[in-house]
Amino acid sequence: MNERERDTELSPELQRAVGELPRSIEPPADLWPGIRDRIRHGKRDGGRGLRWWIPLALAAALVLAVGLRVTRHGNASWGVERTAGAPRVDGTPMGISGTLRVGGWVETDDSSQAVIAVGTIGHVDVRPGSRVGLVRARDTDHRLTLAYGAIHAKVDAPPRIFFVETPAGTAIDLGCEYTLETDRAGRGLIHVTGGYVEFAAHGTRSIVPLGAFAMTRPGQAPGIPYLEDAPAALREALESFDFERGGAGAVRRALATARAEDALSVWHLLTRVDPVLRPTVYDRLAALVPPPAGVTRAGAIAQDEAMLGQYWNLIRRIEFRRIILKGIREIDPRTGVAR
Amino acid sequence: MQAPIDDLVRRAQAGEEAAFEALYRAHAGRIFALCLRLSGDRTRATELVQDVFVRCWERLRSFRGESAFGSWLYRLAVNLVWMANRGDRRREARVIPVEDPQVLERPGETSTAGLSVDLERAIGSLPDGAREVFVLFDIEGYHHEEIARMTGIAVGTSKAQLFRARRLLRGQLER
Repeated sequence: MNERERDTELSPELQRAVGELPRSIEPPADLWPGIRDRIRHGKRDGGRGLRWWIPLALAAALVLAVGLRVTRHGNASWGVERTAGAPRVDGTPMGISGTLRVGGWVETDDSSQAVIAVGTIGHVDVRPGSRVGLVRARDTDHRLTLAYGAIHAKVDAPPRIFFVETPAGTAIDLGCEYTLETDRAGRGLIHVTGGYVEFAAHGTRSIVPLGAFAMTRPGQAPGIPYLEDAPAALREALESFDFERGGAGAVRRALATARAEDALSVWHLLTRVDPVLRPTVYDRLAALVPPPAGVTRAGAIAQDEAMLGQYWNLIRRIEFRRIILKGIREIDPRTGVAR
Repeated sequence: MQAPIDDLVRRAQAGEEAAFEALYRAHAGRIFALCLRLSGDRTRATELVQDVFVRCWERLRSFRGESAFGSWLYRLAVNLVWMANRGDRRREARVIPVEDPQVLERPGETSTAGLSVDLERAIGSLPDGAREVFVLFDIEGYHHEEIARMTGIAVGTSKAQLFRARRLLRGQLER
């Protein structure tokens, strides 16, 4: 047990909520012009002056010294550690640890497991019966391919620098922890246990938040995400719509069974259904979670991206509050307000 | 298509302003988030982000690629913000009142009526020392030893501040 695990005063719900906080927040204005001017004129902030720049210089040297000890990042290879059985790297049984190079593969049989270090931003557990390849190992593009089997990925990095390709599409990290499984054809499932993951295929994307699943199928758009506790009838209706040409009937069944908590699924439906069904889906979504100010029925039905984004932000914010206050306060899934 | 970070760093080290601007744009969000949470003040955070990137430009030639540029920049930012907070007496006893919901509101997200408790705001309401350690340990994933090395506080102090932060945060959310 490590230091962080021993320090358990933070409740599990709060730990998950903290893990979901955005790692990146856009500044309220473009700060570059001010930085550029200061660089060009060699000016420092006179208000704070040397009283803190002097110790800063000393401290920066310390920072560099610490930085030198950080594991190298952006190499064309990542480390692999055996955690059970006899995993193979590029067909050769590995010892306690090994190196996975770009173009190389880690394979596990029914009784073996391994952990891949994803540069310095996280790690991937390779579950038994899996084949995982390293596609790219760059600072801005950490990319694995999961040919079949299952992985559990935990990454702490800015969004969109860690990717896992599967036969059915690509999982794009938005700051998260998740389990991804697939068979050789691409029939699989993603389960997000921290943050968000985007799964993209054939020009369509599903945003899968903490506590949700999404199915994948070869040659088809990714399935609409649904919560862990979504009603079985809703899951079946979504699967029918996504992969079995369920059409309007499946949409109506999904709308009839969706709860306010399932707004994330209905929001995705709104972006995918035939235009003639959009008013019906919108009305149901608005009944489950009233739209935020600025979102109009006409705009959402016309697929106005800004409005859909606003609506999504409200839905994810409510879900976020439900999670962080779980066990502390009961949150109304329609509004996010404590009951 | 954006150039790889390593290439941008090399060009910026050679004095190419456009490359440095690209580095700024690639990292501004992450650095702003850090500055915002460590300072607890949006205006202050924008000043700190500018200071971080000016400092980065000044120190860039000393970056030799032994670690990822992002890691190097991030640690530089942590240190700069920490020192700036320590050097600014005005902030020593500062506590953001929770009734001030605008302080840590994220751009593009409006405050929903009735959302009186928000984790970001709760973090922002923590006393400076407790908030800084909480942000570095629980959000950014540094360990106490790393925090101690970067900031100059004792490991025990870091642990005590974390304990205090978590206790206060729990109390804040249970109100």
